[in-house]
This record gives sequence, C-alpha cells and structure tokens, in this order.
Amino acid sequence: MAARNQTLLATWYIAQRDLLDFWRGKMVVAIFVLMPILLMGMFGYMYPTTPKPNTVVETIPSAYPNLRLALVLDDHSSVAYTFESAFTDIAQSQKLFRVLEYPDYVTARQAIVRGDLSGIMRIPEGFGSAVLSGMQGTVELTVDETDAQVAAVVQGEVTTIVGIVSASMSTSIVKSMMGDRMNPTFVIQPVSVSRVPLISGNSSNFQFLAPGFMALTVVMGTLLGVGTAISKEKEQGTMDGLMACPISMTAVVVGKTFAQIIRGLIQAMIVLGLSIVLFGVRVYGSPLLMLLALTLGVMSFVGVGIIMSTFAPDQETAQMMMMLLLQPMMFLSGIIFPVSQLPDWLQLFGKSLPLYYAADAVRRVMVLNVGLDVIGEDLIILVVYAIITMTIALLIFRKTMAK
Amino acid sequence: MTLLDDPPPPADTGSEYAIIAKGLTKKFNSFTAVDHVNLKVEKGTIFGYLGPNGAGKSTTIRMLCTLLTPSSGTATIAGYDLTSQPAEIRHRIGLVAEKLILYPRLSAVENLMFFGRMYGMEASHLRKRIDELLELVQLTPFKDKLIGGFSSGMRQRVNIIRGLLHNPEILFLDEPSNALDPQSTRFVRDLVKELKAKGHTIILTTHIMEEADELSDRIEIIDHGKIIGRGSPRELKDKFNADNMLDVFLSLTGRGLRDSASDRVVFTGA
Repeated sequence: MAARNQTLLATWYIAQRDLLDFWRGKMVVAIFVLMPILLMGMFGYMYPTTPKPNTVVETIPSAYPNLRLALVLDDHSSVAYTFESAFTDIAQSQKLFRVLEYPDYVTARQAIVRGDLSGIMRIPEGFGSAVLSGMQGTVELTVDETDAQVAAVVQGEVTTIVGIVSASMSTSIVKSMMGDRMNPTFVIQPVSVSRVPLISGNSSNFQFLAPGFMALTVVMGTLLGVGTAISKEKEQGTMDGLMACPISMTAVVVGKTFAQIIRGLIQAMIVLGLSIVLFGVRVYGSPLLMLLALTLGVMSFVGVGIIMSTFAPDQETAQMMMMLLLQPMMFLSGIIFPVSQLPDWLQLFGKSLPLYYAADAVRRVMVLNVGLDVIGEDLIILVVYAIITMTIALLIFRKTMAK
Repeated sequence: MTLLDDPPPPADTGSEYAIIAKGLTKKFNSFTAVDHVNLKVEKGTIFGYLGPNGAGKSTTIRMLCTLLTPSSGTATIAGYDLTSQPAEIRHRIGLVAEKLILYPRLSAVENLMFFGRMYGMEASHLRKRIDELLELVQLTPFKDKLIGGFSSGMRQRVNIIRGLLHNPEILFLDEPSNALDPQSTRFVRDLVKELKAKGHTIILTTHIMEEADELSDRIEIIDHGKIIGRGSPRELKDKFNADNMLDVFLSLTGRGLRDSASDRVVFTGA
C-alpha cells in the first residue's frame, strides 16, 4: 500500500515537474500557443466560411473574392453588350470577380501567363447573331490552370453567373412568347433544389473542420511533447538520475503521460476558443464528452511517442520520427480531406490511425450533439489503442533503459 | 564547513564490505565492456576506480547503480542482491554522474525537492535536509535561482548534494571535479573527505591521478574491461617505484592513445 502510494505520488511529482519545466521555457510556451493559432488561421481562412446558396439567383459566396477576370468582347452586337453588362454587374456586385476589359485574347492570355489574371471570358464574334436567330450563344472561358483550386473556382463561378444571366434572358423570352399565361421560372427550371442544413442556424463550414483540428493539434502537441520530454532527459542525463531513484518506471512513464494530457487539453481549449471567436463555431454537444474523447485521443498517442523516443538516440531523431508519423496522419485521418475520397488502401491506413476516431468522436459530439451511444465505438477503439501502445511502450522503455 | 546532521544508516548486514562484485560482465553485442570484474569495497572507505577512456569504468558503475543489467556475474550492494533487490539498493546509494542530474529550468531548491520526493522523503524533513546541504556547499543565497544560470562549480556542488539528499550509505562519484576551477576542485575534494569521515562509502572515478592519490584508500585500475591493478596508493607507487599515481597508471595502461569510436551514439558515459 505504501509502495503504491509512493508510486502515485512520484507520478504526480513527475507530471508536475514536467509542466513546470515546460512553463519555464518561455519560447516553448509561445510556440505552443502559436501552433494552434497558425494552424487554425491557415485553414480557417483557406476554407469558405459561408454556406453555398440554395438557388441560383441568391447570393453566391466565394472563398476567393475579387479574382481578376478578363473580358474580351469580339462581338459588337447589342445582345453581346447586354450580356456583358449583366455579367459584370453580378460578378462585381457579388465581389466574385474584378472584371477587366481587354482589347484582344492574345493580350489577355499574356496577362494570365504573367500571373496577372485568373481567367479570360471571351465573347466570340457571332455570339449576338446566334442568340437572335434562336441558337445557343457560346462564350469561351480560359482559366489559369497552373492553380487547380482557383481554376475550379473561376470555372464554377463563371458558369453560375452565366446561368443566372441566361435564366433572366430566357425569362424575358418566355414572357414575350406566353405573356402571363405561364410562370417563366417553371418553363426554365421546373424542379429546383432547396437545401436544409444538417444543423439548424447559419453555421460556418469551419464548424465541421474545427473539431478535427482540435484533435489534430492535441495529438501533434502530445507526440512532439512526449518525444521531446523523454529524449531530452536521456540527452541531458537526468533520466539516469530518475532511473537510479527507488521509483517504478511506470511512475516515470505515467507521470510524463499525465503532463502531456494536461498540455494537450490546454491546447485543445485554445483551438476551441479561437474557433468560437474567429470563425463563429458553436459547441452543440456535451463539453465533457468532448474532453473525454480528446483525452482518450491523447492517451492513444502517448504510447507511440514513448516508443519512438525510447528508440531515438537523440532529440532531433525523435522529433523527425514524430514528423514522419504526423504528416500522413494530418491528411489521412479525415480532418482536412474526407477519408472516403482516398483510394481503398489509403482509407484502410487512415482508418487504422487513432486520430481518425478521435476526430470523428469530437466532431460528432461537438456538431451533432450525440451521446455515448453514437461515439461509443470510437471511444472503445481509442481505449484499445491506448492500452496496447502504452503496454508496449512500458515494456520497451523498461527494457531499453536498463540495457 | 558545517557538518551533516544525520550519519548514514548503520550497517545491518554484518559484512565489512559495502560492495562485493563477483564476475561482473557486460556485453554489448559482441563487445565486452566489462569482463569478469571482481570488486570488494570496504565500508566507510574511498574506493578509487580508475581506467583510460572506454576501459569499462562507467559501465561498471552503471551496473552497480542498477542502471544497467549485467550480462553475467553477481553483486551485493549494501547487503542487497543487485539483480533481485534493485529497489532496496536504490534507497541506499547516491549517484553523482558525470553528466549533471539537474534540470536547468528548475531552481536549486526545486531540483532538490523533486529528487528528494522521488526517494519518498517526507516534505518537512526534506526541506530541513535541503537547507542543511545547501548550507554545507555554501549555496544558500542562490537556492531559488535557476540551475541553468549557475557556474559549473556551483552546478557540481548542487549535483553532489542531490546525490546526498537521502543520506545514502554508498555514494558513486563519477569524475566529480571534472572541468572545475581549482577553488571548486579543492572544495569538492574536502567535501568527499568529510563524507568519508561521516561514514559514507565512496566510489570515485576520476582521470585526475593526483585526486585519486589524495582521496582513495584503495585503488583498482581497469583496462579493456579487466582489472589490471589493485592496492592502496602507497602500495601501487611502491610497487612501480613511482613518485606519483600518474606514472603508476601509465606503467599499467601504457602510453598509447585510447581512440575508439562506436557507430552508436551513447549519451550516458562511455
């Protein structure tokens, strides 16, 4: 009993010391706070923060406002001018494009090559006469394909605007043909789609990303933290001092783990606070359940961190080993890209990482307000991971330290 | 210099030896670092354990401190068996390693409190002990300053009292005056003598032969993992007809430089 008490106390003192040591490293603390801010800021502003429109005539929000689009007018009919001014009105009033008029396609193309433009919309000769004679008029679009993301946005937005302008053109055509006998909208588009959001209220898209980032930040912090904590003590020689003390190695490992969990949770709170303040994210579910999922997420990774840093001969190697694990995890755990988008074998890999389950559990609790019944499976998987990795870590730590 | 309050715990084993090692061997893959070493260290003496770089000194010390598992051989430390009773041994030994066992971001008192607690020392007793030891090494005015800002002499003084916190019967001192200025060196050597006078058994490793000569009651010299010379400093000097320990050491171990390089980076002493 006394021995067990001493182990518990030693565990607590080791955790306390690790946290004090961490707190004293002012630069480390600064980076610790900066890391989630940077990550959140980066992804928060990279992704669209407003929802997509329900119908084509409403607002068209864009993650890339005011892209530079050249308009080349090679047709001088009144239809072409009307089309052009309608297009420009929508594009500029919705802040989708800054429309710039270019005298000819060649000059505009050079501007794309220089990187001054994101796209060119050309109204070719014969556009007006085609429309007037009852045929479909065609505009030509060239985008800066060197930036795939922007290219896709330009393509999509131009198509949407052209759709809106076409719709209003056909409305007036239908009106002139049928008068008031028929609703022109019905003729043009008999069926429309109205989107009902999964969660009520005007939520930002970041709402779905924030929980994943919380899990990612916590896991990143834990892996790097525990790796550094152990390899640093090995390197500076204090590990020998600890090993020569009459305490169990479990106390050392668990104490360090505990310190990492506390650090991880603090970082998670920073992420959460930032997402609430900067991106209007809301917590719909139980904060306690979120905390539980995050804690289990941390615990499922501490063992991995210990195993790696026990093998690593120095801090540098330990950190590089962590990065090796972190990088694929960041992209394959369904935090930034959906896992279903990956090829089968990568999906299998992504789903074998505990981060996938931690992120999934936190996301469901935070956004969909679910309970243990829904995320229970995720949590069990995390617990199993934690038990397996911690057991292996303890065994390896014991063995390696006395070698 | 003030004196330490509590003497080391009385010997309850009946044996006159603090350490008895028989056939102690450590192999790293195919390399034998320590090869069937037999040691006997009398209680209350200073035992000088000498050898060139890579001879097997630190490996022996690490095994005796329960930090390394021997490949074969046995040892009894403070009456306890090395392999089956490591916890008992850890309570009775203190380690002052070549690398400081101190956290730079913690103050002297915080470091000492932390390690004292690792020995399960009760808080009020521990505080009293720390005050006493800091007084002993004249660092009381600096007790709340971070170790990272200490000079190497100051660090080493804290490092030594860290090993003394739990008042160990046996103290391992691995190159205690390494890289210290003459004043600190003198201070450390006097402290070692005082500890012996208080009844502690001290295992001293050093490359400073003059230090070994001055402090040791008995010296053993190890080279290539094997003990190649033993005796009191007087006996050794007489035997080799030498004025000083340096000549004795060189006669035994030769003048060739000990250059060896392992592919593995080792942090905890060679």
